[in-house]
Amino acid sequence: MRFKDKHRFVRSNMKKNKTRVWMTILASTIGCAFLIMLASVGFAVHKSAIDNVMEFRMVNEITVNKENGEMNEKDVKKLEKIGKVKAVTRKKSAPVDRVTIGDYQIMTNVMSAHMPSEKKAGFELAKGRMPASKNEVVVGYQFAQELSKTPPKDFANGLSEEEAQKKLKELSYKGDILNKTLTYHLKGKDSETQSNTPEKTLEVKVVGIGKKPVKEWISDNSVFITDDLYNEVISLVGEDGSGTNPAKEVKTYDEVKVYTATAEDVKAVTDKIEKMDYQTYSIIKELKEMNVYFTLFKAGLILIGAIAVLIASIGIFNTMTMAVTERSQDIGIMKAIGATPKTIKRIFLLESGYIGLWGVGLGTLLAYIVSYSVNFAFPIIVEQFMHEKAPEGFMLSYIPWSLTVIAVTICMGVTLLSGWRPAAKATTVDVLKALRRDV
Amino acid sequence: MISVENLSYAFKIGKKGKENIVPVLHDINLHVAQGEIVAVVGRSGSGKSTLLNLISGFIQPEVGSIQLNGTQVSGLSESKWAEFRLNNLGFIFQSFQLIPSMTAYENVEFPLVLQGIGEKERKERTSEMLKRVGLDPYQAHYPGELSGGQQQRVSIARALILNPPLILADEPTGSLDSENEKELLTFIKELNRKFGITFLMITHDHEVASIAHRKVEIIDGYLQEGRKLHEVQR
Repeated sequence: MRFKDKHRFVRSNMKKNKTRVWMTILASTIGCAFLIMLASVGFAVHKSAIDNVMEFRMVNEITVNKENGEMNEKDVKKLEKIGKVKAVTRKKSAPVDRVTIGDYQIMTNVMSAHMPSEKKAGFELAKGRMPASKNEVVVGYQFAQELSKTPPKDFANGLSEEEAQKKLKELSYKGDILNKTLTYHLKGKDSETQSNTPEKTLEVKVVGIGKKPVKEWISDNSVFITDDLYNEVISLVGEDGSGTNPAKEVKTYDEVKVYTATAEDVKAVTDKIEKMDYQTYSIIKELKEMNVYFTLFKAGLILIGAIAVLIASIGIFNTMTMAVTERSQDIGIMKAIGATPKTIKRIFLLESGYIGLWGVGLGTLLAYIVSYSVNFAFPIIVEQFMHEKAPEGFMLSYIPWSLTVIAVTICMGVTLLSGWRPAAKATTVDVLKALRRDV
Repeated sequence: MISVENLSYAFKIGKKGKENIVPVLHDINLHVAQGEIVAVVGRSGSGKSTLLNLISGFIQPEVGSIQLNGTQVSGLSESKWAEFRLNNLGFIFQSFQLIPSMTAYENVEFPLVLQGIGEKERKERTSEMLKRVGLDPYQAHYPGELSGGQQQRVSIARALILNPPLILADEPTGSLDSENEKELLTFIKELNRKFGITFLMITHDHEVASIAHRKVEIIDGYLQEGRKLHEVQR
């Protein structure tokens, strides 16, 4: 019997009991949708956790530290020699009191960075260029907007929080900072008397503005200076602001990061670095541990969801058993004419398969609709009833393709299993009893 | 065409382990040549239907052997039996045994569907067969919408659709009036004469048996074989 004919035969049989078939499909739909929705919460939590971890870091980034002592130039050279390493960035915080332009000032971090390796690692500019000479600097994207005039004393008196914020905004710097000259203020301390030494200043020119951070809530107002400028700053106030600058044989760094070309290389490179007795931290390492926990969590949710599918499968089993019982005489006639048990089994398996397929299809569609609706409505509900803003990009339900595939496999598997026994029962119908109408 | 040798059969009645064994057929030997019409007659409960069921493969013999159309069928698996029935046997039942949810056309077409024949060929052959049995205008009718005679003609059309060399008929006229009975018997004779189809008929009706070339009788499970038609009539 051809598949096309089986399909036609099954369809005509299903049409005869539309209500019963549709009720069974409805049960499968709800079971499948419940499974996907429940697991989607687990997937959403996992995704949020991953997004949270990756918020400030890059996947191909490995932070390297030494157990004893600071990372130095020798270490950097060693790291650069490791295969598959794209760049090794090194930063060191420079002493700073404040940075000003006219009446505007900002308290910020000033970092010396090795610009060529930063560029290799993927540091990008929104405007301008990388520093080419000592007194050239690059500033973060939000640097200009956080430059502000010093507010007068008690300016907020009698003002609401909103009005005070508005007033503060009026005091902030407006205009383009590129190619403007900033004053870099330094304060030192006398190493013997511990008293403040007179303030020293340096003039620096903004030649580049860093790219806007991908995450909207991240504000980058830092200043990147060249190694040469850093050395000058140290010569003026010392590393700790004491004015003394003990000569060091090797240059040290506060932060050393290794970048690989691809995320796949992170593990191999991390292993090599650890073998060289360095301590490493990479997002991949953190994610690996996190993934084990979340995989178990999601598996648990899928297991609970599968119970709903199992309950729906009882409906399919019942429907198919009824169908076999009702059609026993037809089965007997078919067998008498020459239908093989295999053909009969396949016809009934196809019927339960179609019920399952409809249930899975509609269930998946329903789950997607509910998932999108929940994600759309959740921030509104939080805002309306809790008077708070839901976190940016927050998802209550997330259905990746993998979850859809898992759910479809489980639902179809359970459906076919529940249709198996009635189909097998159909093959055992006694021809003589059926012909005598004794079944 | 049919060769039954030393066939015995007993029903097991009752609970498993505590069954009563009721012997039905004893040492049956029956040989039917190709193109022959053989009538098996006997009283109710004599075992004639059991013999037909054994030859049809609906029940399996424990003792003896059955050979049909040159194939040793006793001992075939259920699947092999089904395939054999589809390709070699046609059935005419007393109560027609049509599938009520299928139209006359679909009932006749069904063996072709089981054999996996293409839709176009099926349509041609089914329409031709329905015309042959005079049911062309009733193609779309369900069995419940047809008279007994018409239903039996659908049943015959279904039995003939795959051109089987052997047709097994169990009380073929049992549910028909005398007019339809005559018509059916004429049709059977015609099929036998024109196409050489072999018929094995179970009947208790002497008029039905009268069209057979040979008549065998089963008395209390024993076959009285070999009497030619003229002997039986005398």
